[in-house]
Amino acid sequence: MATNIEIREGIEKMKKTMKIAAMVAGLAMVLSGVAFSAETIKVGHLADLTGPTGDVGKPYAEGVQAYKRYINSQGGINGKTIEMHMFDYAYDKNKAVNQYKKFKEDKVVAIEGWGTGDTEALAGFVTADKIPYISASYSAHLTNPAKTPYNFFCAADYTTALRAGLLYLKEGWKEKRAPKIVFIYPNHPYGIAPIKGGKEYAKELGFEVLGDEDVSLKAIEANSQLLSVKNKGADFAWIGGTSNSTAVILKDAKKLGLKTKFFSNIWGIDESTAKLAGGAEEGALVMAGSALYGDKVPGMALLMSVEKTPQVTHYIRGWVSMMVLVEALKRADKKGPITGESVHAALETFKDFDTGGLTPAKITFTGADHRPFTSVNIMEYQEGKLVLKKSMKLPRKAEWLGL
Amino acid sequence: MHFCGDFRTTYEKDIEILQTPTVRLGVAACLAFLVVFPYLVKGEYLWVGLQILIAVIGAVGLNILTGYTGMISLGQGAFFGVGAYTTAYMTTKLGLSFWVGVPAAGLVTAAAGMVFGIPSLRLKGLYLAIATLASQFILEWVFLRWEPVTGGSFGIVVPRPSIGGYVFESDRSFYYLVLAITVVMVLFAVNIVRTRTGRAFMAIRDHYISAEIMGINLFRYRILSFGISSFYAGVAGALLGHSLKFVTSEQFNIELSVAYLAMIIIGGLGSILGAIYGAIFMILLPKVLTVLTTKLTMLIPGAAGLAIAMEQGVFGLIIIFFLIFEPDGLAHRWKMIKAYWKLYPFSY
Repeated sequence: MATNIEIREGIEKMKKTMKIAAMVAGLAMVLSGVAFSAETIKVGHLADLTGPTGDVGKPYAEGVQAYKRYINSQGGINGKTIEMHMFDYAYDKNKAVNQYKKFKEDKVVAIEGWGTGDTEALAGFVTADKIPYISASYSAHLTNPAKTPYNFFCAADYTTALRAGLLYLKEGWKEKRAPKIVFIYPNHPYGIAPIKGGKEYAKELGFEVLGDEDVSLKAIEANSQLLSVKNKGADFAWIGGTSNSTAVILKDAKKLGLKTKFFSNIWGIDESTAKLAGGAEEGALVMAGSALYGDKVPGMALLMSVEKTPQVTHYIRGWVSMMVLVEALKRADKKGPITGESVHAALETFKDFDTGGLTPAKITFTGADHRPFTSVNIMEYQEGKLVLKKSMKLPRKAEWLGL
Repeated sequence: MHFCGDFRTTYEKDIEILQTPTVRLGVAACLAFLVVFPYLVKGEYLWVGLQILIAVIGAVGLNILTGYTGMISLGQGAFFGVGAYTTAYMTTKLGLSFWVGVPAAGLVTAAAGMVFGIPSLRLKGLYLAIATLASQFILEWVFLRWEPVTGGSFGIVVPRPSIGGYVFESDRSFYYLVLAITVVMVLFAVNIVRTRTGRAFMAIRDHYISAEIMGINLFRYRILSFGISSFYAGVAGALLGHSLKFVTSEQFNIELSVAYLAMIIIGGLGSILGAIYGAIFMILLPKVLTVLTTKLTMLIPGAAGLAIAMEQGVFGLIIIFFLIFEPDGLAHRWKMIKAYWKLYPFSY
């Protein structure tokens, strides 16, 4: 049982500690207030980490954030830190639109976006609100500034990639007869987008277009579609899915004994395909939009110093996407206060912007053409590893803009 | 709920929509709140409010079909799409104004609904639900493939409405427009169920054989019900298209149809107020869960992946709990709460 004096002393001690704690807390708040008052540049970031495209969305988003962290560690943009929190919208368009409204409230100057769904849902809004939107959706109709002036991306658009693949295959075709080709893609805007332009170009090159097969992004088997491809006797087949559905197609094709050579779009085949397809990916081509981790290009040294573990091509494209935005922020900052419009203007000053070899070509945006470049790194899977076969450059034809 | 001494002395007084002073005050307060709502909240919440209003129109329409006429429809999402694409086509390709586009969207969707409602002549209950599921898939396919009209996978960019020179570009102005349309459509729905048509619908739902014997033309009223419900869906879809300024086929999928069915079941079948409650609940619940999981992720970093999964899981769990403990819906629960307070302490 404590005596009166002990109790009183105890209370006195408590009061003292409380006073000290309060002072420390107050000091902390003041200091943190000082820290926050340093100028920040607000950028929005929409990512799909857990949704249907999360398998490729996660590495891309990580690439974007990694470059932001690197730039902030180097002092940001002329001393201003980039404030960019990743929001996982799980490919739910409603969530994306809601988060966009929040970004608008927070007065972001640009948004790093992700998929076809959110990019198209927000296209009208970003144009009206004048906020540049750099997407990971490389749909060709986002490249026409007459329709979507505030949309940008940093890889060859899907149709250009398809055309590049067709040209490469035609160049390698030695037989006299016309090569037969089928198009395998999901019944989804992402899959359908490049098909029309691709088929036109295929016919122009002299391919015999046999038909289409529908394999959903969430498919776990594609036997009936591939049996149909086999019966048609196609020499080549375009796959327009993501890595999961593409791996399924490759596995089933090998199981059914198809002799078709597959070529996939940018999201279909990456370093993880070897694990997913278990050998069936041998000989498959991918229209990659970046270098591979570990390639001997100037920009890779920095990336490897920041991220020590090997990453897939999507990570590198995310890295490049943020690199482009940071460069635009730097240019906009030189001209005055950074706003959505100034960032947009800065992006359109990009002429042969060098990403250090991380992309197949240098990036150019103009007021009339938002195609960053028309080159594709065509890579082939050889013995479980992606090997660069050719960096195919297509002419920047005006009639192909937006198609 | 009528209190003691509340007598009706004329037929007109008996069929009034707002019968007691308390109810009138409540409705007036609600409307006043809705009118000042845009000035009270931030942009993202205004957008949620806009979504709720559009959902109310769709849910009320579906409730007329499912709650009052007893026909389950899994095609609501597709009918939203028909409305959205009709107004998109009319305002962009044909160059007509919003004021023509939205009613036209309603009428075209009503026609589509009546066509897909023809199986109701022979099918009932769950079999009819599967037939309407066919309409969902057929229309979804049409949206994606009928390029000249729907723009295929590219979608259509839709302008905001305008009167004279004023364009309803901002969310706030568009909100008022949608609020006006919603109030009119809900009033219309309340009136439908008070009339002969509404009573015919309810008779068909409760006992269709007796209804037929009584002289109610089953086929005519069933098709009419599909038409009215699809009109509502079309108008809601058109407003959705104009609010997003973009129409694609991705958003009008089976998930939307199921969401609307969930709205009316949770809100309460066979009651307009129930449809409104259900719409508010179903739109707000995911948002509230997102806010909670974001806060949770900030407290415990690294729980991000788990948080999203939790969000879906909790959403499903709440729906299940609701159906177990309150199968008659929110409207019924609200009635019980009002009764408890009115009759306290003699709630038997």
